[in-house]
Amino acid sequence: MPFLPPAVTPGLDPELEPAPRSRWARFLRALSPRAIALTLISSLVVAVLMNPIFELPFMVLLGRTLFVGFITLVARSAALVWRQRVVPPWVLQSVTVFCAATLATLAVYLLATGGDISAVVTHWGRVQGFVLISGTGTIVGLMLALGALERQRDSEAKAMSLELALQRSRLERLAADARLAVLTAQVEPHFLFNTLANVQALVETGSPRAPAVLRSLIAYLKATMPRLDDGDAQLGREIALVRSYLELMHLRMPDRLRFTVDGDPALQGFPCPPMLLLTLVENAVRHGIDPSETGGGIVVTSRRDGGVVRLVVRDDGVGMGESAAPGTGLTNLRERLATFYGGAARLELTELAPHGLLAEILIDVPAADSQRRLQ
Amino acid sequence: MTGSVRALIVDDEPLLRTHLAHHLAQLWPELEIAGEARNGREAVDLVEQLRPDVVFLDVHMPGMNGVEAARLMGPDVQIVFVTAYEQYAVAAFEQGAIDYLVKPFDAERLGESLARLRRRVAERRRLEAGGPSRAASVSGEAEAGAAALGKLPTGELDAVLAVLAGELRRRAPAESRLQWIRASVGQMIKLIPVDEVIYFRSDEKYTLVVWVGGEALIRKSIRELLDGLEPETFIQIHRSTIVNLRFVAQVIKGPNETAEVHLKGRSETLSVSRNHVHWFRQY
Repeated sequence: MPFLPPAVTPGLDPELEPAPRSRWARFLRALSPRAIALTLISSLVVAVLMNPIFELPFMVLLGRTLFVGFITLVARSAALVWRQRVVPPWVLQSVTVFCAATLATLAVYLLATGGDISAVVTHWGRVQGFVLISGTGTIVGLMLALGALERQRDSEAKAMSLELALQRSRLERLAADARLAVLTAQVEPHFLFNTLANVQALVETGSPRAPAVLRSLIAYLKATMPRLDDGDAQLGREIALVRSYLELMHLRMPDRLRFTVDGDPALQGFPCPPMLLLTLVENAVRHGIDPSETGGGIVVTSRRDGGVVRLVVRDDGVGMGESAAPGTGLTNLRERLATFYGGAARLELTELAPHGLLAEILIDVPAADSQRRLQ
Repeated sequence: MTGSVRALIVDDEPLLRTHLAHHLAQLWPELEIAGEARNGREAVDLVEQLRPDVVFLDVHMPGMNGVEAARLMGPDVQIVFVTAYEQYAVAAFEQGAIDYLVKPFDAERLGESLARLRRRVAERRRLEAGGPSRAASVSGEAEAGAAALGKLPTGELDAVLAVLAGELRRRAPAESRLQWIRASVGQMIKLIPVDEVIYFRSDEKYTLVVWVGGEALIRKSIRELLDGLEPETFIQIHRSTIVNLRFVAQVIKGPNETAEVHLKGRSETLSVSRNHVHWFRQY
C-alpha cells in the first residue's frame, strides 16, 4: 500500500498546534460541582460502610475519607490540565489517582501519629486501616476519574458532530445561492448588446440575413429566460437552442468560429433539462474559441451507444486552464444532471491533443425504458 | 488642416467594423480609414506602420484586449474605445474623460463623439504645427476654444488605463482558485472538477486523487494543492491528506487526540493526526 499515511511524528508542525485553552479554565472545568458532589457522596458512603470495622469515632473516619477523596479529586483534575502525549489519558489518571490516594492516606496517618512513621508501620491496626482507606480511595477515585474521562470524550464527540453539521448546512446554503444565481443571470449583457450591435448592422445595411439572425436571437432569448419548471424539456429543443446560439456566435466571429451540430433524430424526444448542452457550448466558446486569435471549431453530437446516451461537445480551441472559472453554468451542471436524471448521468471533461476540450454527458438508459422513450 | 485625418478601426467582429466604417463615411466623409485590425496585437502593429490620427478600439478582443493595446500606442493617437455594455468599463471611461462609444450605438451619439474628436485632432495639429520645426505653417483652422479640449494629460490617461487593464484581467476567466485537477487516466488527460474530489493523499512523489468518478495520480504536492483549494471546503487532516468536507460522513474521535474520518459512499477511513485534529474543535 503506497499510500498509507506515514507515522505521525509528535510536534512535526508546531505552528499547527491547537491554541490551548487556559490551564486554569481546564482545571476548574474538571473540578465541576458535579465532581465535588460525587466525591462528597462517595467519601460519606465509604465512611459509613467502614465505620463498623474501625474503632475510630465516625466523624474522624469521615474526616479521613473526605480528605483522601478531595486530595485525589484535586490531583486528577490537575493531571487533566497537563497536555502530555506520552501515555494515554486513562493511564495518567490511574497513576495519579493511585499516588494521590496513597500519599493522602499516609499524610492522614502521619498526622494522627504526630509524624512518627514507625508508629504507623509497626501498629497492625493502623497498617490495616491505611491499606483499607488508600485501597478504597484508589478504587473509588478510579471509577470517578474514568467516568469523567468518558463523559468528556462524549461531549467532545458531540461538539465535533455539531461543528460538522454546521459546516455542512453552510455548504448547502452556498449551493442554493449558486442555483439562484443561475436562475437570475442567464444572459450576459455583454453578449446581448454585442449581438444586438451585429443585428443592427445587418438591419441598417438591409442585409437579407437579418430575419434569420433575429429568429436565432429570439429563440436563444426565449430559451434562456429564467424559468422554474423543466416540464417539456427535450433534447430536440436543446439541440435547436445550441444551433441558434452557435449561429449568433458565427455571425459575430465568422472568421474564427466553425461549428457542426449533429443531433440524432431518434433522440429528439429524449428528456433533457433546459440549457444542458448550451452550458457546455457556451463554455467551449468562452474558454476555447473566444480567447484565441485564430479561433477554432466546435462539434456537437448526440447519439446512443447501447444503454448509454452520449451528448458530446468537442472543441479544438485553446482549452481550459486548471484554474479556469467554470462559469455560472458548469458548476451547476452536475447538480442539474443529478436532479434531473438521478444518479444515471455524469459529466466527463477530457483534454484533447494538441489543444481543445472534449465534454461528454453520459446518461445510462435502462433498455426497456429507453425503448419506450425513444420510439 | 494639413492632410486628411486618418483612422484605424479595431474590432474582432467583422460586421461591426464594416458597420462603423459605413457610419463614419456618412458622418465624416473626409476621414480616411487607413486600416482595420482584428485584435490588440494587430492594432498595435498597424498604429506603428500607418501612424493614424484616430483609433476606434474595441475593448474585448482575443489575445491582447483594447485597453492593453491602448497602453502600447503612445500619446500621439486619439483613442475612442468601443465597447458593448459593461458597467465597470463605461464607468472608468466616464471617470477618466476618455472618449468611448457603447455598442450598439446610434448615429446621434456617434456624431457627438466625432465632433469632439474633430476638435481634438485639429487642436493637436495646431499645437504640433506651432512647434519650432514647423513654425511657418501654423494652421488657422483651429477653433478658438479648442485649447481647453486638448488631449488628456498623459499621466492621467495612463493611470486610468492601468486600472482598467487590471480590472479586465481580474474579470477574465483566470481565477486563482483551482477549479480542475488535471490527471492522466490511461492515455487521456481528464479534467476533474475539484468539488467532485473526495480526498487527496500523497506519498513522497505523487498525490493520489480520489473523486466520485475514480482515482488517479497527479504530481502536485499537498502543499501546492492547499494553496489553490477553497479553504472552507478542503481541509488538511494529516501531513499527507486533504479531505473535501462535503464528503465527510462522520468523524470518530480516537485515542490520544487523533480521529478517523468516515467518508460518504466509501469504505476506507482517513486518519486525522494530532496536529490537525484541532480543525474539528474550533468554530
